[in-house]
Amino acid sequence: MGLLEALRVALEALRANPLRSVLTTLGVVIGVAAVITLVSVGQAARSRVVGEFASLGPDLLWVLPGKAEEGQQFATQEGRFTLTFSDAQAIQREARAVAAVAPWLQTSIEVTGGGRREVTTVIGTTPSYLQVRALRLQLGRFLSEADEERRKRVVVLGPTLARRLFRAPELAVGRRVVINGRAFEVVGVVHPQGQVLGVDLDDRAYVPFSTAQLLFSVNYASFLFVKAQDTASVLRAQREVERVLRREHGEEDFTVLTQSQFLGALDAILRVLTVALSSIAAVSLVVGGIGIMNIMLVSVTERTREIGIRKAVGAKRWDILAQFLVEAVVISLVGGVLGMGLGLVASWAIAARLLDQAPTAAAALPVVVLAFSFSVLVGVAFGVYPAWRAARLDPIEALRYE
Amino acid sequence: MSSVVELRDVTKVYRLGSVEVRALRGVRLQIESGEFVAVMGPSGSGKSTLLNIVGCLDRPTDGAYLLEGQDTRYLSDDALSEVRNRKVGFVFQTFNLLPRLTALQNVELPLLYAGVPRAERRRRAAELLARVGLADRLYHRPRELSGGQQQRVAVARALANHPAIVLADEPTGNLDSRSGEEVLALFQELNQAGVTIALVTHDREVAEHARRIVTLRDGRVVRDEPVRSPRDAREVLRQMPGEPEGP
Ligand SMILES: Nc1ncnc2c1ncn2[C@@H]1O[C@H](COP(=O)(O)OP(=O)(O)OP(=O)(O)O)[C@@H](O)[C@H]1O
Ligand SMILES: [Mg+2]
Repeated sequence: MGLLEALRVALEALRANPLRSVLTTLGVVIGVAAVITLVSVGQAARSRVVGEFASLGPDLLWVLPGKAEEGQQFATQEGRFTLTFSDAQAIQREARAVAAVAPWLQTSIEVTGGGRREVTTVIGTTPSYLQVRALRLQLGRFLSEADEERRKRVVVLGPTLARRLFRAPELAVGRRVVINGRAFEVVGVVHPQGQVLGVDLDDRAYVPFSTAQLLFSVNYASFLFVKAQDTASVLRAQREVERVLRREHGEEDFTVLTQSQFLGALDAILRVLTVALSSIAAVSLVVGGIGIMNIMLVSVTERTREIGIRKAVGAKRWDILAQFLVEAVVISLVGGVLGMGLGLVASWAIAARLLDQAPTAAAALPVVVLAFSFSVLVGVAFGVYPAWRAARLDPIEALRYE
Repeated sequence: MSSVVELRDVTKVYRLGSVEVRALRGVRLQIESGEFVAVMGPSGSGKSTLLNIVGCLDRPTDGAYLLEGQDTRYLSDDALSEVRNRKVGFVFQTFNLLPRLTALQNVELPLLYAGVPRAERRRRAAELLARVGLADRLYHRPRELSGGQQQRVAVARALANHPAIVLADEPTGNLDSRSGEEVLALFQELNQAGVTIALVTHDREVAEHARRIVTLRDGRVVRDEPVRSPRDAREVLRQMPGEPEGP
C-alpha cells in the first residue's frame, strides 16, 4: 500500500471521530503555538535589546564593579561598591584615548511634583553623560559642572515623567519636584528615547551625581560609562582605563567591557533566556504528543477487529504501521500548521505591544521550519509505538476480539 | 500437478498457562483444484483451527502444510499476508466487513493490498459485486445491507484476487434459511465455474451441498467421503415458501 492510500485511510478514520480528532489536534496546536510565540518573541526581544545597546555606539565602554571570573563577562555581586567618583575623575584626567566619563548611580523612588506622586527611576550622573549617550535636550538645559560641584538640587526629567507630573514637558521647566523629602528645581527635559522590553527610558529623572550620593547617603557609583575618542581607539581606551583603575585601587576589583564584549555577553544571556523559555513551551508540545499517543492507543484497541480483517485479506505489517503512523502524523501536522498560525499571530501581537516592532518575515521563517519539523517529529515519535502495536497484532487474536 | 491443499500430519497445540489444548492431532488432508469440500464435526473438534491453518491465518505446531505445492512452514508473517492476499479468500460467519467502508470499498480491500491501481480496483470490485447480485448496492455500507447481502459482499471480497481456494467458516450460521441457501447457491455456482471451496459447518444439510464431506472429531479426521448426490441450492430455494429474493 502506498503512502497516498495510507493517507486516504487515515483521513477516513479521522473523519469518523471528528470531535476526538479535533481535541487531539488542539493539544498540538497549543504546544506549537507556545513554542513559536516564545521563540519568536524571544528573538525579537533579543535583537531589539542588542540593537538598543548597539545604537549607543561602538566607541562606548562599561566599567563594572567586581572582577569577572575567567571566561565570564560579568562580575559576581561581591564588588558592588568598589567604583567611586574619583575613579571617574582619574580616568578623565589620565586616559588619553578617553573622550568622556560618566558615573552612574540609580534608585527607584517616589517623586512628587505638580500635585502628583510617581514612582520613577532617579539617576545620579555628571554633565558628560550627555556626550557619552549622545542625549539631546528637548527643553531647558542638562546638568552642569556647577550643579555637580555645588551639589545643587536640580533635576532633568525624561519626557514621560514630565508629562505624568506636569501634564506636558513645557509646563515642567522651572517647577519643583520633591525627591526623598528634598525640593529640586526642574531645569530641563530630554528628548524621548523610547522603550526597551517594556521599560520606559523616558520615565526617569537625572540629578547631579554628587547630589545623588548625598541624597541616598552612598559614596560609590553603580558603574561608569566611558566614551573613547573614536572607534579605532576603543581597545587602547580599555587598556588605559584598566591601568588607571588598577593603580587607584591597588587591585583588580573591576571589569572593563567594550561595546562588543558587552553586547556579546548580553546576547548570550538573552539567548539562554529564550532557550529556557522555549524549553518550557516545548513541554506543552510533549504533552500534546502524549495526547496523540493516548488517542492512538485507544484507537488501535477499538479497531483491533478492523486490523484483523485487514490482515486476513492481505495487509502486511508495514501497511498497518503506515496506516496508524500516517494518522498520527496527520493529527500533529494539522496541529502544527494551526499552531503555527496562532503562534505567529500571537508573537506579532506581543512583539508589537511590548517592543514597538513586529518580527520580520525573515525572522519567522526558521521558526516556521522548526515548528513544522517539530510537529512531524512529535507525530512520528508518539505515533510509532501505537502503530507498532497495531502492526504486530496476531490476525486470529484480532479477528476474535469483540 | 500438485494439490491445492496438502496437510501432512498437522497438529495444533494451544498452551494456556500450564494447560495444553490439542486442537488438531495429526491431520492428513488433500484438496484438489475444483473441489467443494465441507468440514463437519461437533463443537470443539478443531474445524475452525483447521480452516485457519489452511488459510494461513495460523501456523501448525507440527507437520507440514503445502498450499499449491508451496511449503508454508518457513514463511515470514509478511509472506503469509501475501499468501492470504493472493491465494486465499475468507468468508466468515460474522461477515467481518469494515463498517465504515462501502460495499465497493470492502471488496477493493484485497486489491488495495495487492497494489492494484485505484481505477482498476473499482472496476474489478464493481464487477465482482455484480457477479454476486449486488450491482445496485455498490455504495451501501454494511449496516445498510441485510445479513445475506453482507455475506455476498464478503464472498465478492473473497474472490477479488482469484484465490486458489475460498474458505468459509459457518458462512450460513448467522443467516435465516433463505439467505443461507442463497449463499450456498452462490458457492455452488462459483464451484461450477471452477472455484475451489472449503466450507466449515456443523449442519449436515449445509454440508450436503458440497461434493465431499470431511468429518473431524477431537482433532482427527474420522471420515472422508464423497457426497453422492449433492443438494442443489437452486432447487431447494424453488421449493421454499415465500418470495424469492436476489437474482
Ligand atoms: N486461541 C485458542 N486458545 C486456546 N484454545 C483454543 C484456541 N482456539 C481454539 N482452541 C481450542 O481448540 C479446540 C478446537 O477449537 P475450534 O475453534 O477449532 O473448534 P470448532 O470445531 O471450530 O468448534 P465450533 O464448532 O464450536 O466452532 C477447542 O477445544 C478450543 O477450545
Ligand atoms: Mg469454529
